[in-house]
Amino acid sequence: MHTLSFSLTLEGVVRIHDGVLCLAKFSEVVSLEARKDKLILTALNSSKSAYASFSLDKTVFFEKYNFNASQAKSQQSTEDTGARFTCQLYNKALLSVFKGRLGDVRDKDTAVERCECNIQDQPDKTECRLIVKMLCRHGVTKTYKLTYESVEVMHALFNKSAAKNTWTIGASTLRSFAEYFGTKTEQLDISSEGGRATFTSYTEKIMNGRDVLKQPLQTSITVDSLDFEDFKVEDQLHIGISVKDFKAIVTHAETLKASITALYSFPTRPMQLSYHEHGMQCEFTLMTIGDYRGNSVTPAPAAVRQGSAAPAERATSRQSTVQTAVQPKTTTMPPPSQSLSRSFTREPQSQRTQRPSPPPPKASLDPQSLFLPADEDDDRIWGERIYDNEQDTLGWDASANNDPILGGRRSDQESSSRLPPYPAWQEDPNSRIAPTQKIAEIRGLFGD
Amino acid sequence: MASANDNADNAAPLFTAVSGSARQLFQLLRCINFVSKSHVQITKEGLRFTTEESQVMQGIAFLDKALFTAYTYSPPAHEDTEDFEPAPFQISLSSLLETLQILGINESKDRWSNRDSNYNGINGFSSRGGPTGAFDNRILGMNGICRLSYAAAGEPLCIILEETGVTTTCNLVTYEPEFQEEIPLQKDAIAQKIIMRASWLHDAINELSSTSPTRLTIVSSPTAPYFTLSSSGPLGSATVEFSKDPQLLETFQVPRRTVNTYKYSLIKGASRAMAIASKVSIRNDEQGVLSLQFMIEVEGGGFSFVDFRFVPFIPEEGEGEEESEVGEAERFE
Repeated sequence: MHTLSFSLTLEGVVRIHDGVLCLAKFSEVVSLEARKDKLILTALNSSKSAYASFSLDKTVFFEKYNFNASQAKSQQSTEDTGARFTCQLYNKALLSVFKGRLGDVRDKDTAVERCECNIQDQPDKTECRLIVKMLCRHGVTKTYKLTYESVEVMHALFNKSAAKNTWTIGASTLRSFAEYFGTKTEQLDISSEGGRATFTSYTEKIMNGRDVLKQPLQTSITVDSLDFEDFKVEDQLHIGISVKDFKAIVTHAETLKASITALYSFPTRPMQLSYHEHGMQCEFTLMTIGDYRGNSVTPAPAAVRQGSAAPAERATSRQSTVQTAVQPKTTTMPPPSQSLSRSFTREPQSQRTQRPSPPPPKASLDPQSLFLPADEDDDRIWGERIYDNEQDTLGWDASANNDPILGGRRSDQESSSRLPPYPAWQEDPNSRIAPTQKIAEIRGLFGD
Repeated sequence: MASANDNADNAAPLFTAVSGSARQLFQLLRCINFVSKSHVQITKEGLRFTTEESQVMQGIAFLDKALFTAYTYSPPAHEDTEDFEPAPFQISLSSLLETLQILGINESKDRWSNRDSNYNGINGFSSRGGPTGAFDNRILGMNGICRLSYAAAGEPLCIILEETGVTTTCNLVTYEPEFQEEIPLQKDAIAQKIIMRASWLHDAINELSSTSPTRLTIVSSPTAPYFTLSSSGPLGSATVEFSKDPQLLETFQVPRRTVNTYKYSLIKGASRAMAIASKVSIRNDEQGVLSLQFMIEVEGGGFSFVDFRFVPFIPEEGEGEEESEVGEAERFE
């Protein structure tokens, strides 16, 4: 009896390939997490500023899926529902196994018909192998035994309740925009003004003495918000992500012909891009950059960030527990006369330097801003799974299931200090679940 | 009228041949282009090109005289015995291939047509700088007429290519041969013989490359699994297994189980042939010497054969991957 075994049709193989190809843009390793009802493939980039996850549904995505929880040793995560199997393997290995099989159908007689995978981790056999069997026509069988590393998997947390800005648009539309972005541009600034959204890809000029290391380049695409399926974004808000990540995401989303939904609060807080199609729930959590820290070229101290950021967030998260309920008041308004800074400058305690915010936000020049602040924020944004702590399971479930109640959890309270990893959970008055509650009961709430 | 001197110069060369399609020759010779030097043996039946790598791999492309529109082999009269064959010589295969495609076998119509006609008049052809006419050589399928000649031992191999009025003459220096013997395949002790489509073998070999292997193990057995190719590398292992389906393995003569290991990169060296061949015959003798014989359909009809031979690793008890580089020469018998 294998810990995990599943089988895929050719279509599934191609989808896995597309997914793995997309994950390859983020990291050279893929983390795999098997649960009772789904298989999750994730990648976290080396600077931990971008996280991608594909959650494959047991019944929709797979032809057969069997996760034998009792076999899943390792994970201390106690009994039943919480049981999972996690491991990590090289993207390159997966990619070569699931490589473009679609072409096979057309040109080759030995096209893949079915794919069977299982995890071999019995102590009496060779351990730590992911066995992939491609069953092809005419009785050709291709078997791969890929070595994996049994590790704990990190998942990014995303606070949906705080993300009051959201838009949804067809991936193919977005993809067609991405084609105009210069190949050498690095940052993508997304802004909205007067009911129009602007996507600006840019590279800033970098000089070293008199040498120009990078030529500036900027491409802007402005879209009417009517082209979006849904558009609720605070006016004048600029938020920046990496062009490379953006391209990887829309390219993949296009293969699924999905509609991408973006969720974000404000710069330097994560942005989530997600879409769901064919039993594949795809979520990307990207760190954003922006100019709210003003012209300072050195990373602002954490205290400044918290002083300005947290109150704004708290205000919204108290208003509502459902992320989409917050209606940005400025979407339908004409552009405010010449309010040059973004709307959350209304926060009195803001310590930001006020400055105009043209795309691209120049203040983001600081390369450090791409990365997560290495201090307090780390623990709250990129929660590492600690398996003797049940709460992180919940943290993941919250985002995976889009549960509004859990979504109401606020991870941004400034009172939450860095340890333990999920202090926000414990201190969250909105939470209806005490931190010590058994996981089984929590599961019941979700009805799964 | 000719003086004695002229006579000597114009004495019938040892060998001349004309081929209507340089592309055919190019296709076949490219299959064995895994090293730069090739041995050439001229015989009555055709030209035999042999390349060798580290004495453990040999590729043999035989250009049958049927491939040529004219083929003259005239051994010197005083040596005109039945089995006389001139000493083989060695040439640079890469140069030969370059020569054969010098006029753009891979297509390049405009390469010449737009030029001034200086180049076109050389061979007495009226220059036809304009667009392709109805009698263009390309349309008539006469592109790349290729003449080969070899005057005598020690002389260069002369190749004259004509295309659209452009003539290229190329003299390839011939060298003393470096090796003599073929890797012996004991034809009377064949342990197994499998014939299958070459594209399937190609597919399987490519499939295994995912593990970046150093070795390839070929197992054939009269019981399931019948025929497997496997390899392993740092990322894991891969196995391709063929069933005995007659649609898959056209011929399957395996009286007993054999296991042989070869150097993967060498087998991969034959992949050009695998890609273009229609069928492959996989044979092993008792010692494990592997013969891959590819049947290649040349353009314009007909079949040609390209052979490869590989010397196996000596099976050792519990030998590990790290020993894969152990002197290959000593395995050569």
